[in-house]
Amino acid sequence: MPDNGGFMVAAYVVTAVVLGSYAVSLWRRGRS
Amino acid sequence: MSLDLAAADRAIARGRVLTLLALAGVVAVYVLALQFTPPERLQGLAQKIFYLHVPAAWSGLMAFVLVGITSALFLWLKEPRLDAFAEASAEVGLMFSVIMLTTGPIWGKPIWGTWWTWDARLTFTLFEFLLFCGYFALRSAVREREERAKFSAVVGIMGMLLVPFIHLTVYLFNTTHPQPVVARVDGPALPGVMLRTFLISLGTFTLLYLGFVMQRYGIAIRTAHQEALDA
Amino acid sequence: MSGWRAAVAIAGKDLRIERRSRTALLTASTFAVLIQLVFVFARDTATTTLAMVAPSVLWITMALTSLLALNRAFLLEREHAAMEGILLAPVPRAALFWGKWLGNLAFVALVQLLAFLVWVLFFNVAPSLSLLLVFALTLAAAAGFTAAGTLLAAMTARTRHAELLLPVLLLPFLVPPVFAGAQATMRLLAGRPMDELAGWLRLLVVYDVAFLVLATLLFPIVVDE
Repeated sequence: MPDNGGFMVAAYVVTAVVLGSYAVSLWRRGRS
Repeated sequence: MSLDLAAADRAIARGRVLTLLALAGVVAVYVLALQFTPPERLQGLAQKIFYLHVPAAWSGLMAFVLVGITSALFLWLKEPRLDAFAEASAEVGLMFSVIMLTTGPIWGKPIWGTWWTWDARLTFTLFEFLLFCGYFALRSAVREREERAKFSAVVGIMGMLLVPFIHLTVYLFNTTHPQPVVARVDGPALPGVMLRTFLISLGTFTLLYLGFVMQRYGIAIRTAHQEALDA
Repeated sequence: MSGWRAAVAIAGKDLRIERRSRTALLTASTFAVLIQLVFVFARDTATTTLAMVAPSVLWITMALTSLLALNRAFLLEREHAAMEGILLAPVPRAALFWGKWLGNLAFVALVQLLAFLVWVLFFNVAPSLSLLLVFALTLAAAAGFTAAGTLLAAMTARTRHAELLLPVLLLPFLVPPVFAGAQATMRLLAGRPMDELAGWLRLLVVYDVAFLVLATLLFPIVVDE
């Protein structure tokens, strides 16, 4: 099995960062 | 009046609940995919990127198609709420495209050997992404609210017509993309456990789209309401 | 006035303005020559022959020159607030679109002809019958994307940053015709059998029809207050 776990971690981190920061941005903009 | 502030508050509140649920779902998908789904033998751990990449691509495409549909409906009904939804869906679609366009190359590097290949689906998403960047550039350049809604609806419809042409172009050009492993006539080619993780992720990303788009829709209604007061 | 005659009259008016000033034609033609020069020199002469890049250069030149030409069409009208006058005339809005489109297409075609001749000269393309076909391809591509471009320019001309917005919005719409045109040109110049071109030609024709129909339907919505 090829050793490429680092790429997997990178992709999961990137996705979490993008989703998380968008969620925070929406939360902030949604405060009345 | 159709730009109802109370409705906007309700949309934001409901969107927040949905988003929190969906984010909990994302955590569950992470645990499920990383801990309880076996790695694929040939591709190794990098194959697990598939569980995020494909659902993100799905949510992005759904978002853009809905922009096209609501744009067409807007020109017909002239309902400002439809414009607010198109704006919301376009922004959420851009965000999902960013995930699709970053996780794609991260998967491509170990599997194909290069970060960026001019693969049909990746290229297609890139063009959609750029088109909707232009969509927002146009929105920000038009001050008058009704004109902005009208113009962006026209671009939304043009974009929807462009989709099949870009699709055909990039396919005629070439493709190295893995062929569909789930939606196939002879049944999914994915082993059961992997399929389950994938479907749960697909559902989670769809829910995430709904949560995000509802919040963003409420924000768009509020902004439109404020603009109407300022005018 | 019938729709067709109105369309031709509008196109004629635009072209007459062009003929009187000649600024736009001169600028666009100069640009078309310059951009080809850039490509000739921005390559590794040891490994890349002119013949290798010729089809790409032709289509990049066509795409960029058309952008320049389309930008001009509506800015001119904004300067003189001429659109308001035309809108007051009892002309069907669809005919107005066809007039603007025909005017733009004629202008783009003229610049393309010049660019094409310069291209044949600069890239030592052997004169042959298939060269006529290549030029016909550039016209077929122009027909479709000037339709999309006329519609987009009618909107961007009314915004701030029109000269920036139009290229960003129009370039994705240039992708199918320019891809198809470039691919077909490569095959034509290499003397490949015609059936290898069929798919690309069909794509061009369907694109032209689709965007002409859509733009005819949407243009009235864009220009009406």
